[in-house]
Amino acid sequence: MSDKKIPTINFKEKAIELLPEGASFDACLTCGLCSSGCPASGIENMDPRKFIRMAMLGMNEELSTTPWVWCCTQCRRCQHVCPMNIDISQLVFIARGNWPQEAKPAGIVRSCQLIRSTDSTSAMGLPPDDFIFVVEDVLQEVRETQPAFKNLQAPMDKKGAHFFVNQNSREPMNEPDEMVPLWKIFDMVGADWTYSSKGWAAENFCMFSGDEEAWYEVIKTRVDAVNALGCKVWLNTECGHSYYTMWNAINRFGMEADFQLESLITYYARWIREGKLPVNSDWNTNNITFTVQDPCMIVRKAYGDAIAEDMRFVVKSLVGEENFIDMQPNRSANYCCGGGGGFLQAGMTEHRRTYGKRKFDQIAATGAAYVLTPCHNCHSQMEDIGHHYGGNYGVVHFWTLICLSLGILGENERTYLGPDLLALID
Amino acid sequence: MSQSPLDQPAVKGHNTLETDVLIIGGGVTGAGIMRDLALRGLHTLLIDKRDLCAGASGGNHGLLHSGGRYVSNDRHSAIECRIENEILKRLAPQCVEQTGGLFVAVEGDDLEFAEKFPQFCAAAGISCTEIGPNEALRMEPLLSEKLVKAYLVPDATVDPFRLALENVAHARLLNDSIYRPHTEIIDFRIDNGKITAAICRDNRTGVMFNIQARQYVNAGGAWAMNIAQKAGCTDVNLLYSKGTLLVSHDRMAGHVINRLRPPADGDILVPGGTVSVLGTTSVHTDNLETVRPTVAEIDRNVMEGAAMIPALATARYIRAFSRVRPLLQSSPGEDGRAATRGFALLDHTSQGLTNFCTITGGKLTTFRLMAEKTADLVARRLGNTQACTTDSVALPDGDACRWTEPGAAPRYWYKANNADDMILCECEMVPQSAIDEIVKCAPGAEAEMTLEAIALRSRAGKGPCQGSFCGIRIASYLYDRGYYRDTTGLTHMRDFFNERFKGMRTVIWGRQAAQMELAEALHCGLLGLDNLDSDCPEMAILP
Amino acid sequence: MKEETRHFETELAVVGSGLAGCAASIFALNRKIKIAQVGNTGAVAYTTGYLDLLGAVEESSKAVENPWDGLELLKKSHPDHPLSHIPAQDIAEGFRQFTTFLGESGIAYTGPQETNITALTPAGTLKKTLCVPATMAAGPQAFAAQRPCVIIDFHGLKGFSAREVVANLRHKWPQLTAARVDFPDMEKGEIYPEVMARALEVAATRTRLAELLREAAGEIKTIGLPALLGMHTPDLVRSELERLTGLTIFEIPTMPPSVPGIRLREMFEQVFPQKGITLIPQQKITALSFAPDRAQLNLRDNYGPIVIHAKAVILATGRFLSGGLEAHITGITEPLLDLPVHQPPSRTDWYREQYTDRQGHLIHKAGIEIDASCRPLGKNGTPYHERLFAAGIILAHQDWIRGRSGAGIAIATAYKAVQAAEDLLHARI
Repeated sequence: MSDKKIPTINFKEKAIELLPEGASFDACLTCGLCSSGCPASGIENMDPRKFIRMAMLGMNEELSTTPWVWCCTQCRRCQHVCPMNIDISQLVFIARGNWPQEAKPAGIVRSCQLIRSTDSTSAMGLPPDDFIFVVEDVLQEVRETQPAFKNLQAPMDKKGAHFFVNQNSREPMNEPDEMVPLWKIFDMVGADWTYSSKGWAAENFCMFSGDEEAWYEVIKTRVDAVNALGCKVWLNTECGHSYYTMWNAINRFGMEADFQLESLITYYARWIREGKLPVNSDWNTNNITFTVQDPCMIVRKAYGDAIAEDMRFVVKSLVGEENFIDMQPNRSANYCCGGGGGFLQAGMTEHRRTYGKRKFDQIAATGAAYVLTPCHNCHSQMEDIGHHYGGNYGVVHFWTLICLSLGILGENERTYLGPDLLALID
Repeated sequence: MSQSPLDQPAVKGHNTLETDVLIIGGGVTGAGIMRDLALRGLHTLLIDKRDLCAGASGGNHGLLHSGGRYVSNDRHSAIECRIENEILKRLAPQCVEQTGGLFVAVEGDDLEFAEKFPQFCAAAGISCTEIGPNEALRMEPLLSEKLVKAYLVPDATVDPFRLALENVAHARLLNDSIYRPHTEIIDFRIDNGKITAAICRDNRTGVMFNIQARQYVNAGGAWAMNIAQKAGCTDVNLLYSKGTLLVSHDRMAGHVINRLRPPADGDILVPGGTVSVLGTTSVHTDNLETVRPTVAEIDRNVMEGAAMIPALATARYIRAFSRVRPLLQSSPGEDGRAATRGFALLDHTSQGLTNFCTITGGKLTTFRLMAEKTADLVARRLGNTQACTTDSVALPDGDACRWTEPGAAPRYWYKANNADDMILCECEMVPQSAIDEIVKCAPGAEAEMTLEAIALRSRAGKGPCQGSFCGIRIASYLYDRGYYRDTTGLTHMRDFFNERFKGMRTVIWGRQAAQMELAEALHCGLLGLDNLDSDCPEMAILP
Repeated sequence: MKEETRHFETELAVVGSGLAGCAASIFALNRKIKIAQVGNTGAVAYTTGYLDLLGAVEESSKAVENPWDGLELLKKSHPDHPLSHIPAQDIAEGFRQFTTFLGESGIAYTGPQETNITALTPAGTLKKTLCVPATMAAGPQAFAAQRPCVIIDFHGLKGFSAREVVANLRHKWPQLTAARVDFPDMEKGEIYPEVMARALEVAATRTRLAELLREAAGEIKTIGLPALLGMHTPDLVRSELERLTGLTIFEIPTMPPSVPGIRLREMFEQVFPQKGITLIPQQKITALSFAPDRAQLNLRDNYGPIVIHAKAVILATGRFLSGGLEAHITGITEPLLDLPVHQPPSRTDWYREQYTDRQGHLIHKAGIEIDASCRPLGKNGTPYHERLFAAGIILAHQDWIRGRSGAGIAIATAYKAVQAAEDLLHARI
């Protein structure tokens, strides 16, 4: 971070503007439940209660410059446990946006710039043509090497498709085979879906950089892309913040969206209930144990416990109820893993791992061999803290396990399986 | 802190203390006299039956008057204010916030009076600039939309606690002058037209002792009449005016905001660091010891204040307080507001005493001038020819006092960035290190330090929870440090909460009702502080 | 983008997620009633874990040895008190069902006994309570038996000082000493009990802590710790630590934010949905209205609006802290339905001059009044609606703080309100 001067915000005024009457900072009882329940407490000597009090005490300069705003993942757990329902994440957003571009964590800024560099809105800067090429290339290979899927489809820019499906850039860029399980699932349930060459990517670091205008532009590109194809449902892939940034922005900016926003989790659950995805846990003969990580961005901050229940239904169907162990706390009360809010990209590794210790303890307490999560940031962070703190667990995507259960997981699609799971496949 | 101060007797092995000048009354005036005399090389002992600023000095808006308030009815006071305002801003900037002040009239106020205001100011030499209502609203967005007139004057705010603490600290530094809290005058020994000793009681321990001085100064404020009577003087005639003020949860305006009308209830809102202070009502009282805000006075202030600043009707208040102001009775039958705001120095020669004087009346803004006049008399009587220098020597910015400044503690703490220096008062963000420092070296720390005394010397307990959490945490910390070793800490906790409650009692509504419900459940429901001296032997925690 | 309203149908809607609301849900579950429960975080997170029935006499703060005798006296001295209208066997049954449910859900409690327990507080004072979490039970026992005991606190944990507990309790418990340890892997800075409690859910942390505890205990066989022995499986954490150390271990509650309250809240949020309750936590309802055949609750969460239709409603919204009552400069109101609030004539009478006055403050006696079937009274003195019931400390004529009777009022009135609601549901579904 450069030493460029950060302008000073009047946080108290902003709080009055932003927070609803009755839940503003002056309702704070200073009881500390927020800080007690916040994984970022103690980092940079800060915590949510201190943030509120410093705002009320007029410590605007300190709050405007504290790097803690990049360690708070805006997960809103503080608000969740606050009896007065006070929300500081909006103030953290403003504080982030207030940092000069050069002073912000470079990783987040660069990701946002890359998102805006092509019509893909990809944080890795993958242009539309390259995306099309990778998809076609992988599809070709699957058709050739996996006879059961010789007619597999991965439609691109298909007008009027029911589902507009987005895609994390990490797969086409780094592990293209990881796209395949989801295609197989769509194939199995007979979904009418499409990728889009525009606005297909499922990342949005512009929101995390506090750049409201950029955030809007990215979402505009995506909304336009969905509208242009005339899809009924924008189906969010296994990603947390891509859902939240889209859903929140459409409401926040009052955008015209002629489609529904849905999460893949909801559909996994629905397809299993409808028998379209005939998964079962018979494969788990060794009673390998699993837990699940609730991404803040789709659970606490968006759908609430309903989607968390869907997620558990899916996991239990996949691994067997007796092999599922919930983390505590969970669902809307779950801890952020510490990978969100751009933390993974911010380059503050030590702080991020300190934050993640709470998640690590949660996972360790379950004793589970694997964590399932429908979020790429959660996925990466949990892997990292697992290595760092000497954890003995793996992290897997839902699509991997669904295909594993269905017996259709290709050989190149097993990156995240440990020897115990691999041993069960063949 | 190897030895707890609680273990020490009040006065080690002596029953008489000696000094050049005994000053009775630890208000700003007493503290000011102490420093003034110390600057002239005279040793003093300052005593207060409670603690610094326990009377009117601590019970006002903290307004450093420009004088604008008095231009219409007391030009002499207005001019004094103007001059002292300028001196304090120059010499004690650490105690002053140069907020500027607004005088505002709203629809329905006497416009004729409003129109004349600049002339009044001019006559007193006070700068006064008219600004348009829109400009005023831009400066202070919470002002009423019904604003019709606004003038800008050089009002400011002053922290009376810090002012007193730093005056005392400077005197101590200059010549080891001593401040002794909780020390009450019981009687004077008089011999041959001279006071030969003051008989005092340590109100914490009940121990009686004597103080022998060459000169005795009565700076007892509202209590000055009673103290003078103990010396047989009947020439101090005071009118007591009870004022009630409210403290809001947060700072509602940048400037001092005065209602542009002849002084009346609820017409000044003064920022005090991180809060605002609204007041005041004024009613005559004869009662000095148990003045407390009444609900009617609170409602009156809020209603009147809301005419200027509508948000005052819905604001969260955390505290109210009442103090008795001593006003000089010049003619019988005057009401409190009309009585003069001037001060009087009585040399008591007419009462047959040559080493006793009384200073009373006046106001916070003119405390230095009052101290100067008093010190002049005392010095002259002692043959000291040194002139007053408090109008030219800056008040040192003492470290021991730094914790009283609103918002200062968290800045020091934030800068120090020491994770082990935990915040004990979360509202005002007062860390352990502040408590250590106060217990160790703040003026008055020589005697027993209570939670109340710590609160007086810091911002602890001044925030929205009003000490209900930090009282517990600070007590725990002091137990940890071995400062408390028995149930004293529990009684201190109880007394502290009782004391803070006095200020809250009349403003517990809205959010504060939730805060207090939680506090009482914790203090009484769990800790049983309402039952420490239970008559049930099993439960009684006080031995 | 359209917002979809989510609809729920239920028999009984419980408004409030404090002790009274949760007790009502438990009693209704036991009666096989279909339930939806809503309410924001609530004050349950502030509880110590102690379940008081009647620990002191209101207006005198005099300690009550035997709460059942106390209830008999209360009937005579305070005939309007909510507990004076409920048979003792119902109260006992309520406590039994409530503590049984907690035990089955992972937080074991001592059941209601003949007399109150003399329990410990973080300041080293004592209080009378009826039921305590199993993790705390050994403390009062060790005190009663005057066993040698070490109170242990932690570096970085504010507001809990072992030396304080010992200093204040030593004249009653001479064999008490204090020690301090560093919590494993958290040697620097401030730590919250919640963080330590969660860390102790991990076996490795327990092993490391056990070593430190053994060292701190020396020759002494009983130790008391601030309440942080696990969050989700406190009984397991405690028994594991006892096994690893060979010591008897108990917890002492801490000041908020304290673990036992968070334990209860998280447990309720975990278990209720599993039991089939439609639980919408963290949200306050914005409107409650009645048609002849049903009540309608409106609320919204992050995702959008929610409508609940119910045959009966139990109002358990608490007092000022939880928003069930609002104190205004002009008087006290009930914000949801604008029910009449019994209250002192003027704000002047809300509080006595002295905070710790043994007589307590009249503001706490304010509240809503109910009929014999727990129905809140409307403006004309008759029940507001036949489908509306009320429970908990929102009720008038009690001082739960000074009476040390918060849980008792919550549990007993919830028990009775559920009974009354069931009568209505059976009579006319």
